Amino acid sequence: MSGPLVLGIETSCDETGVAVLEGMSVRSSVLASQVEMHERFGGVVPEVAARAHVEAIRPLAHQALTNAGIHPDQLDAVAVTRGPGLVGALMVGFAFGKSLAYSLGVPVFGIDHMEGHLMAPRLSFDEYEPPAVVILASGGHSQIVHVKGWGDYEVLGGTIDDAAGEAFDKLARFMGLGYPGGPAIDRDSTEGDPTAVDFPRALKDRPFDFSFSGLKTSVVTYLEKAKDEGTLPERADVSASIQEAIVDVLVEKTFNAVEATGVERVGGGGGVLANRRLRERFAEEADRRGVGLFIPETSLCTDNGAMIAGVAVDRLNAGHEGDDLRGDVDPGLRLGA
Amino acid sequence: MKLLAIETATPASSVAIGEDDRLLGMSVNVDRRGHVGFLMPAIDFVMSRVGWQPRDIDIVAVDVGPGPYTGLRAGIATAQAFAAAIGAPMVTMSSLTVIALRAATGRRRIWPVVDMRRGQFAVAPFQPLPGGVAPDGAPEVVNPYDFKALLESEGQDALVVGDWHVMPEEARRGLHRVRWGRPRYPSAETMLEIASMRANKGNLTDADDVRPMYMREPDVDINWTAFRSEGAWPE
Repeated sequence: MSGPLVLGIETSCDETGVAVLEGMSVRSSVLASQVEMHERFGGVVPEVAARAHVEAIRPLAHQALTNAGIHPDQLDAVAVTRGPGLVGALMVGFAFGKSLAYSLGVPVFGIDHMEGHLMAPRLSFDEYEPPAVVILASGGHSQIVHVKGWGDYEVLGGTIDDAAGEAFDKLARFMGLGYPGGPAIDRDSTEGDPTAVDFPRALKDRPFDFSFSGLKTSVVTYLEKAKDEGTLPERADVSASIQEAIVDVLVEKTFNAVEATGVERVGGGGGVLANRRLRERFAEEADRRGVGLFIPETSLCTDNGAMIAGVAVDRLNAGHEGDDLRGDVDPGLRLGA
Repeated sequence: MKLLAIETATPASSVAIGEDDRLLGMSVNVDRRGHVGFLMPAIDFVMSRVGWQPRDIDIVAVDVGPGPYTGLRAGIATAQAFAAAIGAPMVTMSSLTVIALRAATGRRRIWPVVDMRRGQFAVAPFQPLPGGVAPDGAPEVVNPYDFKALLESEGQDALVVGDWHVMPEEARRGLHRVRWGRPRYPSAETMLEIASMRANKGNLTDADDVRPMYMREPDVDINWTAFRSEGAWPE
């Protein structure tokens, strides 16, 4: 495998990620996770995140280059997330990336974090290419995207309130399961019965959209009533039922989009795609319908620097020359807008 | 010795390059939020005017605050990446020192102030010396009325410099031994002077060890409802 050597930097939320790609192959990818710092707050605290990024970024960049076995002078470009995300967090990586590129005399590419997630399966699968339908689900976003070509995206639908990961976080917190909620509910569900409680699946009439606030209310109401009446089921059963409700919606809406667009490839990205039940259900459904499934390993689903570098590799291959030095972060950046 | 200085501790960001303490190029921009968009084009501009390449720089100097955090971190990340890419050491300094050095007084105690937003200010006392200033107490974060009380209790002639304009007038009234003066903001030009002095003394910092001077705990603004069902399931 060969191709340009690109350093990718990701600091949009609570993970500092730096990676080196050679073409679409990952030479190194390192991560400084802040999960433990945010745990006691039950969510990502923006100022805590920004402080951690500025401490981690320099040593992490050094480690990524060392692990890749390359000298900074060998880099062909630097790629860095410019949005969407937390402004203070984005600013750290963006300032670092721009300055690094300038000092090395190579182009810098400001990357849409969501496009990074769309690109991530390419780092695992040679056969992943447009047209495809991709589900992006994390703590901050939940969208179904029609990838018509690289750089040509149509957002078909998404959440109208909470992101899927946010729903997991809030419900796990409500149940006293800890943070982050997705992995906590995933673990707790292992011994549970997903059919124990029939929580609602909202927005039946909107094929590509979902809503999780109704689920949240329904779980809270159900649990309080069950507690009062002394009919509380096993916690694992509630966890498994919540998980099943979220998974059902994500799978159904994604495959609605597959059907509507007629594509033969389905991809996935974002932290929620690390959920074991979701991966299992996607695999079953893709198999049943005979479409190709492209959900990369967990480390490429959650935030990472490699997917950011991947977008820049695609741009370089398409002949793009990089961004102007005047560029700034865009916390409200929206895919396809 | 060729130096690059990066200043982002206040709304006035600036970059300067110089040979020892001699200023060769400088660019300034006053904008509360524009630090990241300003810095690289400004550095590129001053460098290209004197025909320097990034690798020509021997020392990267950066102001580590106190100051509003987002801008501060943008400057620090920019300086760290630059220094790391070319393998240059760094010199760090406090925004309060950079402001105090430009205060014009021969005998008054100097109090630089930096607006930390939300009605709070970073302050620290300095003594004027021939050709410079010396810190004369630890920096602290205060509200304007505490600062007034502090100046009153000091009972000596003082010169307040920096962003005192942002303090309510009432907090500045009736302080008969206090003068209010300039500069309002720290400048990368002054940083060159401090940096070349510190570099000559071997007072250098590795890029990995550069940290912002926060002076306040992070704001925690997540406040979801407490869990009414906590403890519902026995452990």
